[in-house]
Amino acid sequence: MMMIETTGTEFANVEAAIERWRCFPASSLSHHGGRCCQIAREWVLAMDRSQLNGAPALTGPRWLRHKYTWGPSRWPNHWCEAVGEKTLDCGALASLAHEVFTARGVRSYPAQFIQQFTAEATCHWREKWGDEQCTVNWIEDELIYHEGCAVVLAGSEVKLWDASAGWWLNPRQVGGYGGLLAARIVTPAADSGEVFEWGRHAFAANQWQRVGQAPAELARAASAEALA
Amino acid sequence: MKIYLSGLYSGTNPQPGVGVARSLRAAFPDAALVGVEYSNRSSGIHWPDLNELWLQRPWEELNLGEYASRIRGLLDAGALWISGVDLEIMWLASVFPEGHPNLLTPPRRAIQKISKPAVEAHEGLPVRVPTFISTEHSDWELHAFCRRHDWKVWLKGPYYEAVRTPTWDSFETVRAVLTRAWSTERLFLQTHVTGYEQSVCFCAYKGELLDAVFMRKRELTEEGKTWAGDVTEVPEDFAAPLRRIVRELNWTGGAELEMVRDADGQLWLLECNPRFPAWIHGSTLAGHNLPARMVEAATGVAARAVPSHGEEFTRVVLEVPVRPQFPLPPLPEPFPGGIGHSLKHPSGTLALAERLHKLNIINDGSFGDGSNGNGNGRGRAPKANGNGRAVKGRAEGNGHAAAAVTGEPSIPASYLADVKAFDFSEMETPAWLFLETTARSIFERAGGLARELTTPAAEVANGYSIKTNPDERLIRLAREHGFLAEAISLLEVQKALRCGFRPDEVILNGPGKWWPEGLLPASRLHAVFSDSLADLRRTVSALESGQLQSEVVGVRLRTPNVSSRFGIPVDTPEALKELVEAVDTLPRQCAFGVHFHMASSNIGVRHWWSLYESMLRWCQSIESLTGRDIELLDVGGGWFPDDWQADSADQFAGAVARARRVLPRVRQVVSEPGKAVAQPSMGLAMRLLEFDDAKEEVKEAVVDGSIAELPMHFFQPHRILHQDSRTGEWRPLRRGKTALLGRLCMEHDIVARNVELPAGARPGDVLVFCDAGGYDRSMSYVFGRG
Repeated sequence: MMMIETTGTEFANVEAAIERWRCFPASSLSHHGGRCCQIAREWVLAMDRSQLNGAPALTGPRWLRHKYTWGPSRWPNHWCEAVGEKTLDCGALASLAHEVFTARGVRSYPAQFIQQFTAEATCHWREKWGDEQCTVNWIEDELIYHEGCAVVLAGSEVKLWDASAGWWLNPRQVGGYGGLLAARIVTPAADSGEVFEWGRHAFAANQWQRVGQAPAELARAASAEALA
Repeated sequence: MKIYLSGLYSGTNPQPGVGVARSLRAAFPDAALVGVEYSNRSSGIHWPDLNELWLQRPWEELNLGEYASRIRGLLDAGALWISGVDLEIMWLASVFPEGHPNLLTPPRRAIQKISKPAVEAHEGLPVRVPTFISTEHSDWELHAFCRRHDWKVWLKGPYYEAVRTPTWDSFETVRAVLTRAWSTERLFLQTHVTGYEQSVCFCAYKGELLDAVFMRKRELTEEGKTWAGDVTEVPEDFAAPLRRIVRELNWTGGAELEMVRDADGQLWLLECNPRFPAWIHGSTLAGHNLPARMVEAATGVAARAVPSHGEEFTRVVLEVPVRPQFPLPPLPEPFPGGIGHSLKHPSGTLALAERLHKLNIINDGSFGDGSNGNGNGRGRAPKANGNGRAVKGRAEGNGHAAAAVTGEPSIPASYLADVKAFDFSEMETPAWLFLETTARSIFERAGGLARELTTPAAEVANGYSIKTNPDERLIRLAREHGFLAEAISLLEVQKALRCGFRPDEVILNGPGKWWPEGLLPASRLHAVFSDSLADLRRTVSALESGQLQSEVVGVRLRTPNVSSRFGIPVDTPEALKELVEAVDTLPRQCAFGVHFHMASSNIGVRHWWSLYESMLRWCQSIESLTGRDIELLDVGGGWFPDDWQADSADQFAGAVARARRVLPRVRQVVSEPGKAVAQPSMGLAMRLLEFDDAKEEVKEAVVDGSIAELPMHFFQPHRILHQDSRTGEWRPLRRGKTALLGRLCMEHDIVARNVELPAGARPGDVLVFCDAGGYDRSMSYVFGRG
């Protein structure tokens, strides 16, 4: 039988990537403090209410991705600029999604991801972002830094919303093309000690966590250690 | 070991036979797998894992008795039989009501307990069943069901097929098609559940659950069929009750519970199929070979272990060589002018359904008590057939039990009283009947409700939409009961004034409100709403010049996410910015208001209410961005009378309270009930002209009314009263098989379908079409009168 080898990512690469993106803050749209950004923000929140159409508040706001193509954005990015674009990057889309979840009364936190693709894919993105004079610091070989939202269900259980794709990440599927290798859930209190459960994985708040390697107990231990 | 496998159809809606064969071949390399099919057009017959093929004639030709004997012989001789066809399983259950050790399909009683849509056996599983209603109910009730569920409903056949019917017109069309196809009137409507499709597939032998898997669809075909999925263990909170149910039903065979998981995580059970699903080999690839596990239990022969290839599987399209002894049949000749060659049901499934109905083996998804086609009457009478299905709280209407379903719509007493007051003997028909008592009571109720909801801080008022029915009697009733008049043209304004309204009781609305020129009252109107930015500029200009006076000026908002041609759009940030800037130009001496309107009967009741909530959110944004307080909120409309009356007091009270909470400066909330008040106020009398009463079943009757008088026929049913010409008694027409053909020489002039003329009906009898006082009346036209 012929086996097709897909590119594997060494543990060290992920650790290096985590190290590289450890200081990346979660993206957030800026506000000019004037009517321009007020209108933009009100439009997003009111439109989300219309798009939700009576569905449960935990429904992913896929309409954002339907309106905005995923692609390069320039930063800093203001509300009034972002809503007028045709293309938004993962940070802008995640930021909008976080805002609408929060406005719906859903507990939402920015989430940062490290995902694996292929050299062809990342090369393509490097060129595309380069053409727009946008930074490509989110690409490292076959790995990318990506953003989404963590929305809290019951207790500490979370779902991870990929606002750029318009889908929920599958907690049973880690690694592989497009697979999640590591994630960090960003909460306002740096030392909250909160631990979020995502499928069989656990994330201590504000700490990068490899997935597939760290069962819940390890994450809790790491969190306790960090607090100590 | 010899195993017969049926269900080899492998088109876009495949049967499981090929998947079962692949799984069994992996587990029992030496087993003789015999494919059973009823058409050489089913491509699965060419699958190479099948050692032999036992090709039968299509079901419409098969001698069921002889076929049953031959199957019995095979089973007695030690062969196993795994069926992949629901109807075949039902038929086999009638042949072997208590099962057969080698027949790996469920016994008769078990199948009865899983019949659609109630799936009685599901009790205890962590699932809910979406609400449904049998189509035996009157059209009036079916229309109400569709509105209640926002027209997000599926019309389903008793065994297979489900079609979305988002409009009344599409419902009527699909109902006719499915009724014809499945030889039954007993279809059902079921609400749509938005979410992710998931399944539990299991296998059991003699009541013992052998294995089960949980599958999430990860790719779907356009028909919603699985194209890829992932397979995992069934959680214990599901497996434990499933184990108990399997034991209670003494289940043998494969099965699939098809479900949808909604955004809140709730599982909704759509159906339970008494067989393996077509994706069954995906489970085998994930390390759960359910067909092999079942054969192992039945024979004691150990299955070869199959390694797991991971929990995800997908399909690809494969070409395989055709077996030379079963060459491809020619394509049937296309019908002249027809498009394509239908390959649906090549094995005669529809014919099998019809035959089983006639034999009373199945009774619309359940079992009858007839023979099994052997002529030996071996089928034992079940405790309950389709007429007596137990359903707990999920069926709407009168419940699903046929005994309770008369197919007769309920007619309000006031309608009957009003109709009885007319003397039809000399009445020329068709004729409009003003149902005065009915109309008065509706206006009274609306007025009373508005007064009840009014507080010192904010007034609640009704607006009478003149266009819905400009009959002066109705306009005067509206005025008597404290309504405002809603006009969409200056002609309508003038009519309101002629009927006694003052200008400051008139709301002017719509895109053509300034037409015709020269009729604008000189004194102050109550409110004017702009339908576009251009209209708003014109309004501002008229106000500034003194040409127009209005206490309130405002905007009509176009509903985002619901298609509409009316109002000012807010569907882009730029549009919202333009609106905000335009509102800034409105004179400060006028109060500011917002209006939105969407027909509840078109989009559904719940949808309308969620739209209301979302419009309040837009109002909140507009207030905060413009700094203008919204003092008048005008909402409508297009309410179906029954929806408007059902629980409306509580709903409107809640809605008004929310409006005040969100918009604290609102001084007046105007509700525009539209046809909710007009529609019941009139009926249309017509006479039966002709029908062939020599025939036992009257399929068509001609009446002197037409769609020219009932233009809303395509959008809503009408309740119809028939007067017995001998006794004078009035009775509603119940569901039946007669179409009432209008008098016009127009193909689509059919004013009612699926009604039953009472015994004794004769030409000249009077029919009254109720519920015709809304747009039927106002949009009726003169046609075919010379």
